[in-house]
Amino acid sequence: MPEVRIVARNFMDMVASLPAMKLDQLYQNAFICQAIVRSLPPLAKKYVIQMLYVEEVVPGKLIEEWVLPDGSTKYRVAIDRLVQLRIFSETFDRTSGTSYRLNPTFRVNLQKHITIGGVLPREPMSATITVRLPSLEDLEVYAHEQWECFLLQLINSAQSERMTNISPAMMRIFQRGLLTQREKDAPRLTESGFQFLLMDTNAQLWYIIREYILNSEELDIDSADLIAFLLELSFHATGEAYNMNTLDEIQRITIKDLADLGLVKLQQGRKDSWFIPTKLATNLSVSLTDSSARKEGFIVVETNFRMYAYSTSKLHCEILRLFSRIEYQLPNLIVGAITKESLYSAFENGITAEQIVSFLQQNAHPRVAERIPSVPENVTDQIRLWEADLNRVEMTPAHFYDEFPSRDVFEAACDFARECGGLLWEDSKKMRLAVKTEVHMQMREHLRGQR
Amino acid sequence: MGHGEKGRPSKRIKSSSSKEEYRLAAFTDDDDPSFMEGAGEDDDRDGGEEGKKKDFTKLELKPDHPNRPLWACADGRIFLETFSPLYKHAYDFLIAIAEPVCRPESMHEYNLTPHSLYAAVSVGLETETIISVLNKLSKTVLPKEMIDFIYASTANYGKVKLVLKKNRYFVESPFPEVLKKLLKDEVISHARVASEGTDADGFTISKAMGETVGGHNELLNESELAAAAEEKETHSFEIDPSQVENVKQRCLPNALNYPMLEEYDFRNDTVNPDLEVELKPHAQPRPYQEKSLSKMFGNGRARSGIIVLPCGAGKSLWAFQFKLWSTIKDEQICRFTSDNKERFHGNAGVVVTTYNMVAFGGKRSEESEKIIEEIRKREWGLLLMDEVHVVPAHMFRKVISLTKSHCKLGLTATLVREDERITDLNFLIGPKLYEANWLDLVRGGFIANVQCAEVWCPMTKEFFAEYLKKENSKKKQALYVMNPNKFRACEFLIRFHEEQRKDKIIVFADNLFALTEYATKLRKPMIYGATSHIERTKILQAFKTSSKVNTIFLSKVGDNSIDIPEANVIIQISSHAGSRRQEAQRLGRILRAKGKPQDRMAGGKEEFNAFFYSLVSTDTQEMYYSTKRQQFLIDQGYSFKVITSLPPPDSGASLSYERLDEQLALLGKVLSAGDDMVGLEQLEEDADDINLHKARRTFGSMSAMSGANGMVYMEYRTGKGKLVAAKAKPKDPSKRHYLFKKRFA
Repeated sequence: MPEVRIVARNFMDMVASLPAMKLDQLYQNAFICQAIVRSLPPLAKKYVIQMLYVEEVVPGKLIEEWVLPDGSTKYRVAIDRLVQLRIFSETFDRTSGTSYRLNPTFRVNLQKHITIGGVLPREPMSATITVRLPSLEDLEVYAHEQWECFLLQLINSAQSERMTNISPAMMRIFQRGLLTQREKDAPRLTESGFQFLLMDTNAQLWYIIREYILNSEELDIDSADLIAFLLELSFHATGEAYNMNTLDEIQRITIKDLADLGLVKLQQGRKDSWFIPTKLATNLSVSLTDSSARKEGFIVVETNFRMYAYSTSKLHCEILRLFSRIEYQLPNLIVGAITKESLYSAFENGITAEQIVSFLQQNAHPRVAERIPSVPENVTDQIRLWEADLNRVEMTPAHFYDEFPSRDVFEAACDFARECGGLLWEDSKKMRLAVKTEVHMQMREHLRGQR
Repeated sequence: MGHGEKGRPSKRIKSSSSKEEYRLAAFTDDDDPSFMEGAGEDDDRDGGEEGKKKDFTKLELKPDHPNRPLWACADGRIFLETFSPLYKHAYDFLIAIAEPVCRPESMHEYNLTPHSLYAAVSVGLETETIISVLNKLSKTVLPKEMIDFIYASTANYGKVKLVLKKNRYFVESPFPEVLKKLLKDEVISHARVASEGTDADGFTISKAMGETVGGHNELLNESELAAAAEEKETHSFEIDPSQVENVKQRCLPNALNYPMLEEYDFRNDTVNPDLEVELKPHAQPRPYQEKSLSKMFGNGRARSGIIVLPCGAGKSLWAFQFKLWSTIKDEQICRFTSDNKERFHGNAGVVVTTYNMVAFGGKRSEESEKIIEEIRKREWGLLLMDEVHVVPAHMFRKVISLTKSHCKLGLTATLVREDERITDLNFLIGPKLYEANWLDLVRGGFIANVQCAEVWCPMTKEFFAEYLKKENSKKKQALYVMNPNKFRACEFLIRFHEEQRKDKIIVFADNLFALTEYATKLRKPMIYGATSHIERTKILQAFKTSSKVNTIFLSKVGDNSIDIPEANVIIQISSHAGSRRQEAQRLGRILRAKGKPQDRMAGGKEEFNAFFYSLVSTDTQEMYYSTKRQQFLIDQGYSFKVITSLPPPDSGASLSYERLDEQLALLGKVLSAGDDMVGLEQLEEDADDINLHKARRTFGSMSAMSGANGMVYMEYRTGKGKLVAAKAKPKDPSKRHYLFKKRFA
């Protein structure tokens, strides 16, 4: 889904918008350099690697020549990104035009990271202390449950059985933009809220993390520190225990919030307490690139508009409810029907037919995923047609005129409106007409002149 | 207009409100005999949006659930995975115990209803067997509600049988206490006839082998099988033949609630003569036909009931077919119709007639009076009733009461009817014995693989303006059918299929005005109710044989009866409101499989070899009806592809009504026609069209005689009878048709 990338880029936009000093400070950390490289567009990655051992400035023209003529747009995008992130610095002189050079801090740290490898600020705790560590499977289940519980609470579903420890205030911040918050009405999902639910987990996670960081700025926490901590966390080993005493005060608060989201699991020993990163955390930097791991699909759509979802997830049920009518819920199956009514309410909420179709296709059950098309054509056609049906009426703000003193005045007015390109409708029998709002003022002037 | 046509129902599945289902659960206390759930199914589909959502997440999944094919819900709904290795067994089992709701490709849905369980019991399944097989197939522990429901529904069903033995009627049951209960009823005790050789209660005791129903055995373990096959003791008492109807009446659910199963012990029938007839060796029954037969003949007796197979699946028999497939002699078969009144000779034979001929209430000619009298006074072995969905219940009653038969078999393709009449079929004929899955038959290459399409034709501005006017309310249909865009789409499709694919096309229009206008403008022959018999014959003959006549226009006279195997394209330009049956029947006209079987299979050379187009004018009532009409076919797994761009924009003047003045002239014609002119065709005999029947017979083609109204009587010869005689003077068993061999074993 295109939105995935938009959100992910938004996070890096946020990084890019940090003050120059903060950015340079971030690049002191080799892990962050690596995470940033991972997030870059492919061509930009190539430039960074190519210039990694070049200390001189390189003319832009030369760099541009490294790509085929039709790749010039990609060249522009790559360069812009690199400059934004202060990985490249720009210089200009008359003879050679614009030249670029790799940020020295960034270069040195990335070189080091590639040749020697990075050293994390903390080591996993020794095996003797950590006897009660959860298995990787258990950890994954835990992360999944935490995240789902959080999402259910986020969309205010009645389905969420337990509450996370996230403070209501924090929750409201996450809900900003996803839910409407009118005083009396129960909060409803907004257009972007719907789209948010249709995204994959990593994209959702980055959206939430971005909100989290923006919020911490308001609390006077240094966002650069927070970003550094999060990116660093993604290089920790899944399932290993790390002692809490390696964290500073702010990090300790942060790690508790992250536990509520399922990024880490907290455990308390007799003496020590520790955190265990889950896949959600270690995927953080991976998800910045486009190659999100393919999850196995679970939905079967039939030609009769019935939908069968092999899932135990309440969240899946909530997502499907956005555009279908859920009829049966079984221990490992959700049965629904895609109806005109259910789609109309989805459309009204800003979900598009294309989003629904691609959601169904991307999550097609392995049984039908191999089939072409994986979602029956008559169903996808119908979803699109129903949407098109709603878009047949075009709204144009207009002004209505009647009670013309004479036919001459009426006809002159029609002609005038037509000349301005603003005549929408005329009824010469009853001498009435409607014009676009844009020409209303001109029309008034014109009619005044007629008097 | 923003939301398109008003209230177009979306394509969705039938599921009645939970209230309805709970009523079903408490059925035994209910006075309403019409328990065929979903008979009036159109109303309930929209009811109670979210309230209907059912949460059964608490059901316990069995550890090996991926290996099991179904989920069963407390409200009777069952979901079946068709990709399970156990699918075939599970399907045969479910179709015996539950009503199919929808059967598309990957997942089937069924409903367990009192009615379906009655049918299950009547084909010999026992309560415990039903529960244990269901439990074996289920991914979850069976909901307690479902088990209770099965017990409650089957408690009384199948406990009592009405058996005609040596021309004496017996009420039979393995449970003497049930018989005692029945005898407390005044009518029944009055009808009882004392017979010799009875026990203390006055019941005759006999032993019969229990039966195991083929196909489910592999799902049972040995001890369960042994229990099912155990010898059962049955108790019975005799009743007065003249009181049979009254006794049956008393046993119905609205009275004593022990509905009687009717079985015919034909092997022990020494009174009626046997009919010496067998299948010819080349007649090879298809698997589903064989399955149907096995449901009908269990434990050596013939059961009454209904068999549901799609059109074109080969279920109708008429005189010609009898001669084609069986060894029947010419003199053993005769026809009794309005213009063919043959009297039969000998003491056993087959009579082919129509419902109307038998149920006719007015004064008959002397000749037919005699034939009717002969039918009346005889005892018939089998009463075979074709296309049972078209005949009104009162007609059935009359036919059934007039024709005393041991066994009644009803055939139909579509067990849906817009009215409630279908409910009566259960008690007049019997439970549904078997229902084939359309998609399985398509995959097997037994019926044509049809590409269905709904063609959206936007109304022209002028037609739509008139359509919206109040004063044109009676002309609405004419306006949307005559919509020039629809006409052009129709013209385009005809041309495409005639020229590009060399297909044979039937165009259906219920609206006579439109039929005439279209046919005349396009210079194609047409047939409707008033078309003379000679002309019909001529037109149909030309359509079948001439390469110049490739398209015919039919009014609704063609819905059921005209069967033209050559046709493989249907274009429907107008239809009868939301009738799902009409849609299915019309599709049936082209279901007869065409071409080589291997080409028809999935992935074959020609995946689709038949085409069904339904032309609808957008933003009109037609859209609403169209969706409703398709529901039955959609539930069978068919899908309708929506086509929005017909004719292609570049067709221009090559098609009619391109210019506005032509369109306006057409509009003028529609508006100036009288209201009576533009309505639906009214056939005198909508259910049973005699006119058409005449035509069918006269041109004598076997297909033209397809059994819309055909009814077949079959009689067995007296003596030891052929079936029994086979033992007395044994024929070479190897010469016997294998199907019958099985029945003898």
